[in-house]
Amino acid sequence: MKQFRRISAFILISCLILMVAACMKPKNTVGEKTPGTATPKPQGNVVRDEETGLVPMADAGDPITFKVFIRDPSTAPSKSNPVLKKITELTGVTIDFEFLVGDLAQKQGVMIASEDYPDAIFAEASPFIDAGAFIPLEDKLPQYPNLYAHYAPFADDMTAKDGHQYILELYSVTTKTAPIFTDSGPGFFIQKAVLEEAGYPIPRTLDEYFKLIEAYKAKYPLIDGMKTVGFEILCDGWRDFCLMNPPQHLMGAGNDGNVYVDPVTLKASLYQTSDTARNYYRKLNEEYHKGIIEAETFTQNYDQYINKMSNGVVLGFFDQGWDFMAAENVLRAEGKFNRTYVAVPITNPGVTDSYLDSPNGNIPGFNGIGITKKCKNVDRLLAFYDWLLQEDVQNYLQWGIEGKDYIDLENGGKVLTPERRDIINDEAKKRELTGHVLWNYSPKRQGLYENGEPCSPSDSEDEYLASLSEYDQNFLKSYNIKYPAQLLSPPVVRPAYYPVWSMIFEEGSSARVAVNKMVETCRKYYPRLILSNLDEFDGLWQEFVAEIEHNDVKPYLEEVNRQIKQRMN
Amino acid sequence: MTENSVALPKAVVRRKKWERKIKLYKSQKSLFAMILPWMIMTFIFSYLPLTGWIMAFQNFKPAKGYWGSKFVGFDQFAFLFREAGFWRAFRNTLAMSTLNLIFGFVFAIGFALLLNEIRNRFFKRVVQTVSYLPHFLSWIIVCGLISNILSSSDGTLNNLLMWLGVIDKPILWLGIPKYFWWIVAFSNVWKEMGWNSIIYLAAMSAIDTSLYEACEIDGGSRYRKMWHITLPGIRPTIIVLLIMNLGFILNAGFEVQYLFGRGLIMDVSETIDIFVLKYGITLGNYSLATAAGIFKSVISIFMIVTTNYLSGKIEDEKLF
Repeated sequence: MKQFRRISAFILISCLILMVAACMKPKNTVGEKTPGTATPKPQGNVVRDEETGLVPMADAGDPITFKVFIRDPSTAPSKSNPVLKKITELTGVTIDFEFLVGDLAQKQGVMIASEDYPDAIFAEASPFIDAGAFIPLEDKLPQYPNLYAHYAPFADDMTAKDGHQYILELYSVTTKTAPIFTDSGPGFFIQKAVLEEAGYPIPRTLDEYFKLIEAYKAKYPLIDGMKTVGFEILCDGWRDFCLMNPPQHLMGAGNDGNVYVDPVTLKASLYQTSDTARNYYRKLNEEYHKGIIEAETFTQNYDQYINKMSNGVVLGFFDQGWDFMAAENVLRAEGKFNRTYVAVPITNPGVTDSYLDSPNGNIPGFNGIGITKKCKNVDRLLAFYDWLLQEDVQNYLQWGIEGKDYIDLENGGKVLTPERRDIINDEAKKRELTGHVLWNYSPKRQGLYENGEPCSPSDSEDEYLASLSEYDQNFLKSYNIKYPAQLLSPPVVRPAYYPVWSMIFEEGSSARVAVNKMVETCRKYYPRLILSNLDEFDGLWQEFVAEIEHNDVKPYLEEVNRQIKQRMN
Repeated sequence: MTENSVALPKAVVRRKKWERKIKLYKSQKSLFAMILPWMIMTFIFSYLPLTGWIMAFQNFKPAKGYWGSKFVGFDQFAFLFREAGFWRAFRNTLAMSTLNLIFGFVFAIGFALLLNEIRNRFFKRVVQTVSYLPHFLSWIIVCGLISNILSSSDGTLNNLLMWLGVIDKPILWLGIPKYFWWIVAFSNVWKEMGWNSIIYLAAMSAIDTSLYEACEIDGGSRYRKMWHITLPGIRPTIIVLLIMNLGFILNAGFEVQYLFGRGLIMDVSETIDIFVLKYGITLGNYSLATAAGIFKSVISIFMIVTTNYLSGKIEDEKLF
């Protein structure tokens, strides 16, 4: 017995020792490694990295990892990504991205309720600001020259209600914009093959649009052996803007979200119950009975939607450019350029479309990264972002290395090498072989630099034209245009309040409850309207309007009008 | 002698009692030490979170915390009970979980009875293993399977029915409200039947074999044996499980309804859990969501106590 006890004591103690040793190990290796990486980097004189020509940060020898939550459902690059490894080597900083899984609002709610914050968060800013999760940055920014120069012109937009600046805006922080080549926002999209078949017309009304689709579907009931789908309506969760938003665009407005704002009086009203909406869903109802729309579209999820589109069998849909990019990338990779899509200017007859937004010198001011009160080292993170904003670092992340990834042109511009272009067109390779993810989810330069040079390949006209496939070149030539976006009216400069969807409504406020109820009613009725029998439509529409009126939406409209007025002053 | 003992002062009696108790506790020292960690865990994970119930009586704002938020009494409950969406969610939950309960019991017991009759051990084991494998699939996968089977474009069920000539054009199973509860119930049966039958099979194997022999001697057929021996033999198990399951009557599941809950069938798919999630987390109204959660717990406790009492009265089988 005694022996048994001794043996068990021995085992227990050795386990404990092993545990302690295992826990200590990372610290030890770090301690050993630090001098190793620091030696080749003499202090004092600026020594550039051999491969990239970038100047390392002073505290590159002191590794630190920041966890950053990102509101988008996506995949984090792996640890072996050579660009990110290089950045870590030069700065000591590793950014550990945590992407959204599931529903954003829920994730946010859980984070706030548990106060379990990562170092920085890119999500809806207002709930976190209200919960006191973010730290004010206005006193810190002036210490970082690049960050300060980048954000100073937008200081007013970035200032929250309480007078503090919390957010490092991520998108469109630029004073000089690049031309818009394709519609990455909302639009009625149509497969290029359909236009080609019809002799390159520009459809301008719903009737013209559906006529083209009907004709093509009748002629080609199968595409590559699979059944042709006329028109898709994505209804999966928050992505059901594809179902609900079209009427406002038919009325000639930009994307304001859940209201139509009169361009003259700037008064907000519901477009959901307007005649335009009624006619739109009536039209979809007719198309359903013609077999152009399939009932399946109301039960399928986002993956099934993208999957169908990637097969090249979907002829048309309403969506936003970024939402179906994954499908277009597959089509392009397979060389099915005639199956990719282009946005066409569909509106009510006689109305000018305004699908494209021209920057109005304002940024939403909360569409970016907030640094939380749980952040390990705020100054270090800001210094890192400041370092990233240098032009040569931005070039390294976006363009790569000169000679290998891109070539300087005589006119001062740049084009990518074909190899690099292939990498960029493949989502997985782009993620694993370039610095795209880090660039995209950190403060960044977009548009054009002061000297007119494009910040990234997607801002570069030279690169856009060089990257076009032969099919697309012919397609554009047939329309006698330079970019696909020229099928639409030129970008519109919006009033300062724009867009309404970016307005902030207090948690649990009556405005928020009202809009939520309104949206739910639409979510419930629109599919039923589209699937209804032709003679039942009118009755169901009246029921729908009555329910919208019953759930009083006034608190929401009043709040929207109040905020419009406030921002216009 | 007896008088003397009666005359002992009360204080002394009490002290003696105490001493005996302390002695008892001391002798069970190691047992207490063993149970302590679990008591602490239960306290931390099951009782400590209850402090959050205070939110239901406040107008809770995360930034202000429990102390700073305004106390509003029963306002949240009043709002909840006036909300049509809540009663709809309540109805859906009750309907779906009742279907789940009935089908779950009938199929699991029936399956266990049939499996118990199989004499070939190898075959029996294979069937049992295969039948409980779906239990280990996550709902998201099961829902993917179901949506493929029920799909209106080339879905298995529609193809089969059309081949048999029952229908002439595909039915959008997942888009028609009246089918939804049944789809949920049968998905549950498919996923959990094998797993749930394990406990009944175990109970059946504990039945004294001499009872079967006696029945055989009396000329009882197989059905007679099932009806008069096997089923009564597992009755205690059935009742205990029934009591436990009735306590969960307001948990109709969450994943299936959440994953399939599109606009077309929203009215029949929303359960209390989804309601809580929508109001609490999505709309940021934590107080209302907590109130709904409390309501659910109260009903559950009521159900469990009632069934326990009733089964004690009728069957003399009680869980506590």
